[in-house]
Amino acid sequence: MTAMIDLKNVSYRYPVSDDSVLKNISFSIEKGKFTAIIGNNGSGKTTLCNTIRGFVPHFYKGDLDGEVIIDNTKITDYQLGQLGEKVGYVFQNPFIQVSGVKDNVFEEVAYGLENLGVPVEEIKVRVEEVLKLVKIEYLRDKNPFELSGGQRQRVALASIIVMDPEILVIDEPTSQLDPIGTQQIFEIIRLMKERGKTIVLVEHKMDLIAEYADDLLVMHKGELVMQGPVRDVLADPAFEKYQIQYPHVTEIALQLQKSGIPLSFLPIRDEELAEALNRTGVAVHD
Amino acid sequence: MKQNILLQLHPMTKFYFTLFLFAIVLILPGYLFSFALFPVLLLIALFAGVLKEFLNIVLKALLSVLVIIFIMQMLFYPGENVLWGWGIFEIKQEGLLYGLLLTSRILAIGSAFILFFRITEVRDFVKSLEDIGLPPMGAYVVLSTLQIIPEMRRQANTIMEAQKTRGVETEGSVLVRAKAFIPTLTPLILSSIAGTEERAITLESRAFSAPVKKTSLHQLTKSNIDRALPIIFALIVIGLLVWRFFF
Amino acid sequence: MKRSFKDDFNMMAMLLIPIAVAVNLVGFQLANVLRLPIFLDTIGTIIVGVIAGPWVALLTGLITNLINGIFNPVYFPYALTSIAIGVGAGYLSKYGFFKSVPKTIISGIIITFIAVIVSAPITVFVFGGVTGNTSSLITAAFLASGQQLWSAVFSSSFITEIADKVVSVLIVFFIVKAMSDRYLSKMNYGHLYMKRNNKK
Repeated sequence: MTAMIDLKNVSYRYPVSDDSVLKNISFSIEKGKFTAIIGNNGSGKTTLCNTIRGFVPHFYKGDLDGEVIIDNTKITDYQLGQLGEKVGYVFQNPFIQVSGVKDNVFEEVAYGLENLGVPVEEIKVRVEEVLKLVKIEYLRDKNPFELSGGQRQRVALASIIVMDPEILVIDEPTSQLDPIGTQQIFEIIRLMKERGKTIVLVEHKMDLIAEYADDLLVMHKGELVMQGPVRDVLADPAFEKYQIQYPHVTEIALQLQKSGIPLSFLPIRDEELAEALNRTGVAVHD
Repeated sequence: MKQNILLQLHPMTKFYFTLFLFAIVLILPGYLFSFALFPVLLLIALFAGVLKEFLNIVLKALLSVLVIIFIMQMLFYPGENVLWGWGIFEIKQEGLLYGLLLTSRILAIGSAFILFFRITEVRDFVKSLEDIGLPPMGAYVVLSTLQIIPEMRRQANTIMEAQKTRGVETEGSVLVRAKAFIPTLTPLILSSIAGTEERAITLESRAFSAPVKKTSLHQLTKSNIDRALPIIFALIVIGLLVWRFFF
Repeated sequence: MKRSFKDDFNMMAMLLIPIAVAVNLVGFQLANVLRLPIFLDTIGTIIVGVIAGPWVALLTGLITNLINGIFNPVYFPYALTSIAIGVGAGYLSKYGFFKSVPKTIISGIIITFIAVIVSAPITVFVFGGVTGNTSSLITAAFLASGQQLWSAVFSSSFITEIADKVVSVLIVFFIVKAMSDRYLSKMNYGHLYMKRNNKK
């Protein structure tokens, strides 16, 4: 397996601050994996995203130690403009995340492809396809400035997906969306994974992470404290001390366990609960 | 339809036309031609279907300026031939002539530009400038400015309303009113610049500085008329210059 | 690293220009709404000069007048004045003239002179001495009292500009003071106004 994203002993300090926001972080993500980054506010999740995307230190400056390697090339060897094609980045704030020069959603989504010099005919085909995929065809003629937060989040995601980057870094893409919208976004991410994209996602919604993601990175005060397959990380008793929410079903299972009901394994998806209880022979129907 | 022929001209053709008018107004002596140009512009505006806006803006932007300039020249332009006098005020022939010349030219040139922007989308104009070498950054700045202005106007109003409800006076003496200025403008500026970091990241994420030649969904086409007209304009200007300075 | 730091400044500076142009326009509109006797229509340009330097400010001034000119072509020739104000503010900032209130006031006076020296010839040659704003009345009064055209235009323009520019630079001073270090650190001249020194 080849590593798509590889960080070695990465530490970073913003130029106007004394404290490091990232402390000696090492991990590697294989091609085609869906990795979720979790952690409480201020734990360095967004900075980590910025590092993978190369905005740290290209844009934010400050001191970066260690090595960031994307697709076997050191990030410092890329031009910032080149990286745009390779790493798609959707960040948190959907309100600012528009080009600011386009009158309608169709052109907004096409903007990245124009910048990449894609032929016009191909742009039209690709934008059509993505509008359909992200379910925003009905917004095509709307002004991006007149959209709701949730609509903007979809447009922002579409604007990046359309560029077809190998890696997708997505920072809280569902904060403005209702549960149905959120589920749809995760379905789109799953589809991207099926197409072989490597995905890094920052999210708080643990139920969905447990359902969709392969691996977890747990950030705590600038340090990468846990990493591994989602199931292993959640099953590790150490996870509890970082005060991050468990998936609801896991929470319930842990409560049951505490009150003396044995579990054959720790369920992280709703449908696993019955199985986890059944295997030990507990009569659920009684 | 007739109006479409005008509106469908390439932005550069319209721009060259404006420059052409600018040049001949300055080349031709006297005020008669320049004043005669205005009805022509009115006709063009009519054909293009923008007569009402055109007239509106001309009246709003130029009328008072022209009247004041004209009066000033009549009263204060140095000259000997007094046509009419009242107390310290004298209207001299030289002033009258200069006033007519100046106002005719300002009217002609000013309304030519006003007309240009009535019959040309700024977006198209910027695109046509980009086609002849304006860097993408320049184009971005102009287009983004046009989007930001109404947005910031709206925000300024919101902030001012909020200030009023919090008791900041917007009525009263000059000093009181002046004090309302800073609490309105400062948050507006600070909140706007706070967003630029993320906007820069957005643009980079959309490959703004990708080292390739950009394409554009927005294409402008040049017809034969668009190729011919600038040459005709240039020939006329050269002809007029020759006539003016050699005969 | 192939991409130079200068490019990054350019991107941030480029994004500042539209905001600054809008600030010029909104400032003017606000001064009107509040019925203030001054224009306050160059605050954006001066801010850009102070934190991003003369060249970015030059563009800001130019674009401000081009956009105003769309609705009132009288603005077009005065683009030169806006440009000069921006460049002037940029150089004043470079030499530390926006670092304290007294120095800032001196900057305001110097900018006034720049504005007057550049705009007076435009007013005289293009518009024959008046353009229909408040200073036209003063010009007329000077002319009626027997002054020559040039001195009338210069003096009236100085009278209307001085208050405007001094108030504008002071507003700029306080706004720049309120800017975050994080933002200033990304501007060409921002380090001059940061509250803490970048240890780099």
